[in-house]
Formats: sequence, structure tokens, C-alpha cells
Amino acid sequence: MSRDRTEDDPAATRTDGGTARGGPRIESALDRIERAQSIKRALTVVGVLAVALFAMASATYLGFTLASIWRQLPTFLSSLVAFLTPDFHFFTLYATDQGLHGWNALVQSLLNPSALVDSVLRRDEGLTIVGGAVATILIGFTGTVLGFPLALLFGVLGSERVTPFPFNFIFRGTMSTIRAIPALVWVLIYVPLVGITPVGAMLAVGTDTVGNLGRLFTDELEEVEDGPIEAISSTGASSSQTVVFGMLSQVSTSFVAWTLYILEINVRIAVSLGVVGAGGIGQYVKGRIGLLNFSQAAAGILMIIAIVLTVELASSRLRARLRPGEHESRSIVDVIMGLGDGGKWFGQSSKKQ
Amino acid sequence: MPAITVENLTKRYGDTVALDDVSFELDEGEFVVLLGPSGAGKSTLLRLLNGLTTPTEGGVYIGDDEVTGKRSDIGMVFQMHYLVETMSAYRNALTGALSRADFLDSVLTRYGREDKVRALEALDTVGLLDEARQRAGSMSGGQQQRVGIARALVQEPSLLLADEPVASLDPKAAEEVMGYMKSAAAERELTTIASLHQVNLAREFGERYIGLRDGAVVFDGGRDDLTMDVVDEIYYEDGEGPAHEVVA
Ligand SMILES: Nc1ncnc2c1ncn2[C@@H]1O[C@H](COP(=O)(O)OP(=O)(O)OP(=O)(O)O)[C@@H](O)[C@H]1O
Ligand SMILES: [Mg+2]
Repeated sequence: MSRDRTEDDPAATRTDGGTARGGPRIESALDRIERAQSIKRALTVVGVLAVALFAMASATYLGFTLASIWRQLPTFLSSLVAFLTPDFHFFTLYATDQGLHGWNALVQSLLNPSALVDSVLRRDEGLTIVGGAVATILIGFTGTVLGFPLALLFGVLGSERVTPFPFNFIFRGTMSTIRAIPALVWVLIYVPLVGITPVGAMLAVGTDTVGNLGRLFTDELEEVEDGPIEAISSTGASSSQTVVFGMLSQVSTSFVAWTLYILEINVRIAVSLGVVGAGGIGQYVKGRIGLLNFSQAAAGILMIIAIVLTVELASSRLRARLRPGEHESRSIVDVIMGLGDGGKWFGQSSKKQ
Repeated sequence: MPAITVENLTKRYGDTVALDDVSFELDEGEFVVLLGPSGAGKSTLLRLLNGLTTPTEGGVYIGDDEVTGKRSDIGMVFQMHYLVETMSAYRNALTGALSRADFLDSVLTRYGREDKVRALEALDTVGLLDEARQRAGSMSGGQQQRVGIARALVQEPSLLLADEPVASLDPKAAEEVMGYMKSAAAERELTTIASLHQVNLAREFGERYIGLRDGAVVFDGGRDDLTMDVVDEIYYEDGEGPAHEVVA
């Protein structure tokens, strides 16, 4: 709204301003603000209503009706009850062989560590919860390791500061295309090569990593400071030396941090790849739900929670420790040695505030 | 009865004596400038005055009422304005009325008409009525600091405190902001204490000066008593300072 200058000269009232409540200048300013605010408020209400209506219409289009949900609710609730009594029958081969059920199967397996190792090593004799969990973590891990070098290459070459303008889009475009295809589709693309197998899952996670991690690398490189790059290149270093010492050295810890973050995500992706049959704990849960054995599926879901939380905790702790100290610069060796200090893994984050 | 009484105020942080047995009284409407070198205890004194920290010994009284915690009748202007930059100048000024509005009303900007008028009057006092709807983040440093003053005025305080309110401004903006603060205080007969690092500004706007060094009051007097020698004494140990060098 334009400034309304038609009233009295503002300077005239300023000297005694604040004595009288209101006054014509104040009144008209308040009017203008109030009017603008009521328009804004009305628009907000209309906007919220429109979004709500559209969401309702969309849900109807998708076939949502309260009646059908209401009808199925008792069945759903009774299946949830089964989740309250998880059955660890398939926790290890040992538990299955001994005919153990419920929590007892879990406890007996844990009391018998060789049963755990056994289930991992003899994975072709049956998909157990422990074997599936290990496979899932390994899919996430190997996929990340596989994807990392290509992510680094594409990420660095995608930066405008390394590859001149139009050409860096070759690499950025490749990464965008990879990202446009979800890992769940990548695993299908690799079917002719390896079928739907844990190997396919590993390749899918690796491909996905190139797109996601590479993008994070490129973004991170946009943030580096120019000063050090200029300083390094002024020493007569070659351009690839300038990239390594001037740019990558500035971002090495954040690259490691991003990689750990992607590892977390990859383990979660590995779970979902199992659901389409590519091995691991996801496949176990899918299989049990298919047989309508909710108690046994629940045991697998508890395992998934345990895996994901553990990986997240480990990775966020690691990342916290990667942050450079105030004074000394720590080598990667110091960081790894520091990890042995178990007490610091828990309850230390409060200090950061 | 004095408006503000500071009685044997002492504040210790471990072994550090930040404030050492400080006493003074202020009359209603006095405009006081706090001077002193870095670490003299200016910020500590101001924080004690508005109840952000508690004294080790002694006390601060507004009238008969001892200051024991944060209170809405003491307005504070900060060095780094601390405005919410995404809100308009008007809504920033209105936050001064938060203590008089309940949560839901304040979220929906449903303040009483009284408070809205107060906010606009305060913006008028600092010369920003026409800029009331501008986003605070897009204003100049001097304008932002003036919005900060307006916010403090909307609190309807009985005491206005300012800790180095112009330290991050250029000389012209600093002078302008001090001018608006002075006239706001005069209009509302508001007792004001501002710490300043610029001796020339202090001279121009102060009526009474309290000089602190190492936590103790080393000077308390009017403009005529604030000679160059006195300034030297506040900022330098006797004899140590370069004679009459420009301190500001
Ligand atoms: N929270 C605190 N903990 C420990 N010591 C403190 C604390 N706050 C202030 N001090 C100490 O109290 C003394 C006075 O500090 P204060 O901040 O009041 O000085 P100042 O006059 O405001 O200085 P400046 O002009 O630099 O802002 C200093 O020695 C300071 O180190
Ligand atoms: Mg200070």
C-alpha cells in the first residue's frame, strides 16, 4: 500500500506525540494496518479451506471412505494385538530347530552366542531374523562403499568451480537422473543382470548413493571459501592439486559426515528392498505378513527398529566426534582411537548446547 | 522518594568482583549515562537492574519495590537490536505488549486496541510511523535500533535500560538513535540508564554520568563536572593514560 501523505505534516505532531491516545495520524496508520491484516487473514482462511477441500477430494478419488475403514477396524485392531506378542521362532536356526517360541526364543538364542553366528554363516539354510538383519546392514554398507568413489568423482566434477559452466551439467544431470529413479526401481533394472537378489539390492543402493551423496558433495563444494583456493593456486600448484588441497581439504570432514548420513539412509533403503524380495530382514517380514503370521512379523519389525536405531546412534556419535576441536586439528587416526572411549558415546550431546 | 535506589550492590563471579559496593539514587525522569572501560561492570550493573541476574549483596529498588526477577516494567535496549527480522517493525514493537496478552491472542496478533495504538505511538516517537509495515530485516541498523527502542517503550516501563545501544552503528546513525532515545525519555518522563563507549555522544546527550572502574563508582556527577581529566581518570589508571588523547 502506498504511503498516505495527505494528512497533517508528520513533523507537526511529533513534538507532542504520545500524549493523546490516538490522534489522527496514529488512527489512520492503525486503520491501514488493520485493513491490510484483515485482507491477509481472509486470504489465509480461504487458502487453508481450499487445501483442506482439495485434500478431501483427493482422498475420495483414491477410494477412501470412512465406512470401509470403520468396517475393517476390528480386524486391524486384532492384528495389532498380535504385534504386542512378538514371536521370535525364526530368530536363529537354533530357535527354529528347538521349536522355541515367543520371547523365550530370543532369550535362549542370545544365551547361546554360537547360535547367532551359525544363523549368519548358514544363511542358505533358512532366512532367520539375525541372518536377515546382518544381510540388510551389509547391503547398506557395501552399497555405500560401492557408491562412494563414483559419488566423489561426479560430485566434484559437478561443481562449477571445478568443471566450467556448461560441462559441469553433464555430471549434475547424470546425478539428477540417477536420483529421479528410486532404489526400488533400480533393483528391478538390475534384474536381468543378477535377478532379485541381495546382490541386486547392493547394486541398487550403490547406484542410489552416487545420485544422493554426489549431490550433497556438489552442494558442499559451493560453500567452500575462495581465499584458500586462491592461496594454494598462487603457490604454482597444478589445477588438480588446487582442487585437492584448496577445496577438498576444506570439506573433508563434512564429506565424511555426509557419507555417514547416507549410510544411515541406505540401511533403511536396504530394509525396503527386502520387501520386494531382494533379501534381508525386509524379506523376512514380508514373508511372515504374507502368511498372516503377525506375531512372527512383529519380531522382525522389532529387529528393524533395533538395526536402524543402532546405525543412527553410531553414525550420529561418529559425526559428532568428527567435528574439529577448538584448537587442535585431529587426524582421522585420533578420531578412530577416540571411539574406543566408551563412556563418551552416551549422554555427551547435552554439552553441545 | 527516589525513583530508583541502588544499595550496596555487589556481584561476584567466583573470585572476580564484577561490581563492588555500588550505591546511587535516581530521580524520576533522569537520563543517566554509564561510562567505564571494558570489564568495568557496566553490563553487570544493567543486568542486575533488570533482574537478569541476582546480586551477591545489596539490592535494587524501584520505588519501594525490590527487583527480584525479570519484570515487564523495565524496558531494555540491546546492542544487537535482537529484533525478529521476519516480522514487520509494527509487529516487533507489539511484542513489547506480550506480557499483557495471552498466548493465543498474541499468536493471532489480536492485541487490545490500546496496545496497537501504543505500538504505533512508540514507532512515531522514534520517527518510524511511515515505515511501520516494513520488514525489520530490511531496515538499516539505525532504524532497527529505533524499533528496538519502540519495543521497549511499548512495555510502558518505569525504567529504560540500554547496554551500548549504538556501539554497532556509524557515527551519524548513532547520534540519531541517541537523539530519539533522549526525546522518547523526555516525552514520557522515563528514567533512563544507557551505557556508552563514545565519550562525545555521552557529553552531548547525558545529564548525569556514573563512571565505573573495576566494579566501583569512580565518578557521579553532571555534565559540567565531566572534564577531560575526569574522563581520563575513568578510563585510565592515574598517570598511565596518554593525556587528553581522544578516547572515543
Ligand atoms: N557470567 C559471568 N561469569 C563470570 N564473570 C563474569 C560474568 N559476567 C561478567 N563477568 C566479569 O565481570 C566483570 C565485568 O564485566 P561486564 O560485562 O559487566 O563489563 P562491561 O563494563 O560491560 O565491559 P564491556 O564494556 O566490555 O562490555 C568482567 O571482569 C567479567 O569478566
Ligand atoms: Mg558490556
